[in-house]
Amino acid sequence: MKPKGLFYKFGFLSAAVFSCAVMSVNMRPTTASAIEIPTEVTEEGKNVYKKYCSPCHGEEGGGDGPLSRSMIPKPRDFTRGAYKFRSTPSGSLPTDEDIFRTISYGVPNSTMIPWDILTEEQRASVIPVLKSFSEAFEYREPDAPVEVGLPLRPTERTILEGKKIYEEKLECWKCHGVEGRGDGPSAAEQEDDFGFPIKPFDFTTGKFKGGNSPTDVYLRFTTGLNGTPMPSFAKELSDEERWYLTHYVMSLVQPEECEE
Amino acid sequence: MKRTLLLYILSWFLLCNVLSSKGLFANGLYTEIEVPDGGCVAGYVKCTGNAGAPSIDLYAGWELPRASQVISEKLTVNKVNNGVKNVIVSISDIEKGKKGVVPQIHPVIDQQRSVFIPRVTAILAGTTVDLLNGDEEMHNVHTTSMRNQPFNFGMAYKQRISKKFDFPETVKLSCDIHKEYAWIVVFGNPYFDVTDRNGYFEICDIPEGTYKFRVWHEELGKREKEVMVRAKKIENIEFVYE
Ligand code: HEC
Ligand code: HEC
Repeated sequence: MKPKGLFYKFGFLSAAVFSCAVMSVNMRPTTASAIEIPTEVTEEGKNVYKKYCSPCHGEEGGGDGPLSRSMIPKPRDFTRGAYKFRSTPSGSLPTDEDIFRTISYGVPNSTMIPWDILTEEQRASVIPVLKSFSEAFEYREPDAPVEVGLPLRPTERTILEGKKIYEEKLECWKCHGVEGRGDGPSAAEQEDDFGFPIKPFDFTTGKFKGGNSPTDVYLRFTTGLNGTPMPSFAKELSDEERWYLTHYVMSLVQPEECEE
Repeated sequence: MKRTLLLYILSWFLLCNVLSSKGLFANGLYTEIEVPDGGCVAGYVKCTGNAGAPSIDLYAGWELPRASQVISEKLTVNKVNNGVKNVIVSISDIEKGKKGVVPQIHPVIDQQRSVFIPRVTAILAGTTVDLLNGDEEMHNVHTTSMRNQPFNFGMAYKQRISKKFDFPETVKLSCDIHKEYAWIVVFGNPYFDVTDRNGYFEICDIPEGTYKFRVWHEELGKREKEVMVRAKKIENIEFVYE
């Protein structure tokens, strides 16, 4: 059942993949700590939201704007406070920086573009608007971000260790498939918390929605994607094991698909 | 598509409101008093008609040998007296009553052969629930809730996690890997019970008065009934789903 050829391809693959990942890292907008994110909803924020975001995310943030109709994946419904891409533990609200990052970086493989046509101030100004749509932000505070240890350098050994975790210890293949194509036995009929169909991510595409750097991938399976079936594996792994798993997951990227 | 979304959200909110608004309300308004001579309400929840065939869950993409198929308890009706298991009985409009005691020993929800046991857990706000995985394979525990912080954790064999639920709310607990689910219903006062396999429940130490008793079942829905409670008396009532 497990593809034998994969093992022999590691060296080659990992080299290609990591150069691929590094390229995208450089393209990532950085969250300059100098940017101030307002704590209250401002007129500017409201205007930016109305003009640029509400056509998809809806006037009231329900993810039901006029453009959303035939869209899959659906624009995020902000009313529940369920954000996929976070540095905070499973179920927690995101930090303002997490939201800023998503707005700047966009969500690959969806209609959510990187909003670099907006100034950093404009991007920051919509954050309180997004938060105001959900009562969750009244009830709860975001938890502290999870600790990310120093990245390990990928080697054949770390990738092999990661493979064991992926295939035996944590059985990621049940959803993501043995080759990481998002076609595991549990992949069919997955639904998100809003009742829409969702597919486990196809790692071979390499276009990670939450970002292509090893730290991004590390954070995704450590914190989970709120509002989706993708769990947090925070309790199961040591820091080292997380890097092994990160290396393996990134080794599943097919270089050809990454290039285009 | 949009309409189903709306419906879904609406029903979700309705469900939650119906179940928890009173609870939330009660949480704010509920006053603890001594109840030296309270009354009891006991009885059965029944289901007539043939809705009671147990459903076997065949998981998407998984072929299970017969011996390991577990009968899901979505709707379990006792053949002898038509009693329905796993119905939650509560008093929806109680404002004063006995002090609720958060159990020191945590209620446990186990995953066995991919099924949550028990399927329905009713707890007092502030209770910690232990979730465990008794299967030699990976599961996940994924909750949907608004006030209680939701979570979604991968659970390896023998993993055990403890989670505290602080706010009255109906929480759905699912395992996405095997498409199974269960319910955790959190109350703001101690007047609730879950029916046993005969459909039996009892709620005691209720101050004298007239109250709205509410039953809820995930498949059969909600029923409500006014009941007069007299001091030191046992009132027998029956709820029937037709
Ligand atoms: C053309 C449609 C469209 C527009 C316009 C749009 N978005 Fe999105 N947005 C999406 C889609 C689709 C997703 C969901 C992607 C997914 O889940 O894979 C999304 C997701 C998000 C998320 C999700 C973050 C998370 O962690 O879950 C945030 C935040 C967000 N958008 C903010 C904005 C802001 C702010 C604007 C306006 C500046 C905006 N979007 C404009 C389509 C759009
Ligand atoms: C219950 C099924 C399920 C299991 C088990 C599961 N995943 Fe996922 N995973 C998903 C789904 C669904 C998504 C996609 C969410 C989306 O598109 O927004 C996802 C997304 C991801 C992402 C994010 C990719 C991105 O776009 O940034 C990573 C990384 C990931 N999974 C890694 C793992 C690893 C590693 C494991 C095993 C430890 C694992 N997953 C186990 C369902 C699962």
